[in-house]
Amino acid sequence: MHENPSNPIAAGLRSNQGASETSGAAGGTLVADESLLNRVCAKDRGAMAELFERYSGMVYSVAFRILRDPGNAEDVMQDVFFKVWRQPGSFLIGRGSLGAWLAVVARNRAIDLVRNRKPSDAIDEVVLPAKTDLSAEIERNAIIEKVRGFLAGLPPEQRISLEMAFFEGLSHAEISARTGDPLGTVKSRIRSALILLRKAIQP
Amino acid sequence: MMRGEHIPIEDLALFSLGNLASGEAGEIRLHLDECSQCRSEMAALSGDLALLGAAVESAPMPADARDRFLARIQAEVPTKAVHPVSIAREPSSKPLLWALCGAIAALIVLVVILLVRVNTLNQQLSQQSSTINRLTVSASRAQETFDVITAAGAQRVLLTPGKSAPSPTGRAIYLPSRGGLVFEAANLAPVPEGKAYELWVIPASGAAPIPAGVFWPDARGSASVVLPPLPKDVPAKAFGVTIERAEGSSTPTAPIILAGAV
Repeated sequence: MHENPSNPIAAGLRSNQGASETSGAAGGTLVADESLLNRVCAKDRGAMAELFERYSGMVYSVAFRILRDPGNAEDVMQDVFFKVWRQPGSFLIGRGSLGAWLAVVARNRAIDLVRNRKPSDAIDEVVLPAKTDLSAEIERNAIIEKVRGFLAGLPPEQRISLEMAFFEGLSHAEISARTGDPLGTVKSRIRSALILLRKAIQP
Repeated sequence: MMRGEHIPIEDLALFSLGNLASGEAGEIRLHLDECSQCRSEMAALSGDLALLGAAVESAPMPADARDRFLARIQAEVPTKAVHPVSIAREPSSKPLLWALCGAIAALIVLVVILLVRVNTLNQQLSQQSSTINRLTVSASRAQETFDVITAAGAQRVLLTPGKSAPSPTGRAIYLPSRGGLVFEAANLAPVPEGKAYELWVIPASGAAPIPAGVFWPDARGSASVVLPPLPKDVPAKAFGVTIERAEGSSTPTAPIILAGAV
């Protein structure tokens, strides 16, 4: 894959992160995604069906949360998975968790749609660290419970600001205009929420 | 925004989400080209934020979505051309050979159709099994909740805050044989940022208190803990609530906010 000059993560940093983290505890389950992707590269429809089975619910739910329309949400989901089928090399194991990557790609596609933008990013531009592996059902449920618990415990104004940023694609200024809160307050709330999120998901 | 310093994480986060206007984003991109620390932090933030997507409330997918996707990739795979076999033309002696070739071709087509059909049915079966498993787990948990609440042996304990004004209250329903616990509280004060209420089971054996989950009251001061993971067959002599770190503690910290003996 060609290096995208607009990608803020340097290629060296990406590969280094992946090399160290795939050798960790989550490495065993990452292999399963990697194996499936390798088979998808060879146009194995069974492997693609398995990836779809594993992640389609999450990808659809992300799109639906943003778009609130089953048809549009399915369009986004189909688009995301079809691009994986057509370009499985867009995601490289070692650049992060496939599940997290799919969640972000689906989020970006849905935001583009809701804001009436052309797809803004090549899907290979989304790069994540491989801290969490969402391919294993048990680990996925555990991390999801942590994040839901974190959101439930967050003060409402912090949660709303964070959700406006993630699920509506709003900037600080847009959130400030929407809520009527000062810009500095909005930034402070998002900062606090990010710090608490990091704490909440730490093992 | 930066003035030669590192980029604030709230700016990095929204940049990673693509939410910033081009001017602000360009400024951050220039900084990132020079600063490995901010690049690392942004990658970590991207991973954190991705979990907000992964943890979104599950929405039921249209029933035929999977079939539509599989049909789409099925249609996309180019069919390999079958190259005709070159046969020397001997018109007078070939009708039987042509008939044989036709029968073999028809047989191959039939086998392919059956294989595709079997594959489709297997995929549908797998999907339905997955749905049944999810429903079974959900029903099992609901039944367990109902059993704990309605069981004759369930202990119902009202927790009060000692001698102070009895505004905050808690009620624990505990079934030791199952390790089942349902706890409800009311009139709780908000906890400071970074803190949470934590529920404790005090074993009758005198063993160390067992943490039974952290929780935060809602705007009205109400909160509940339903079926936290607890060991089975641990008779309790009391229950307590303390204020701990938001991620929970392994031992309770004074003061005890709510307490109640069995």
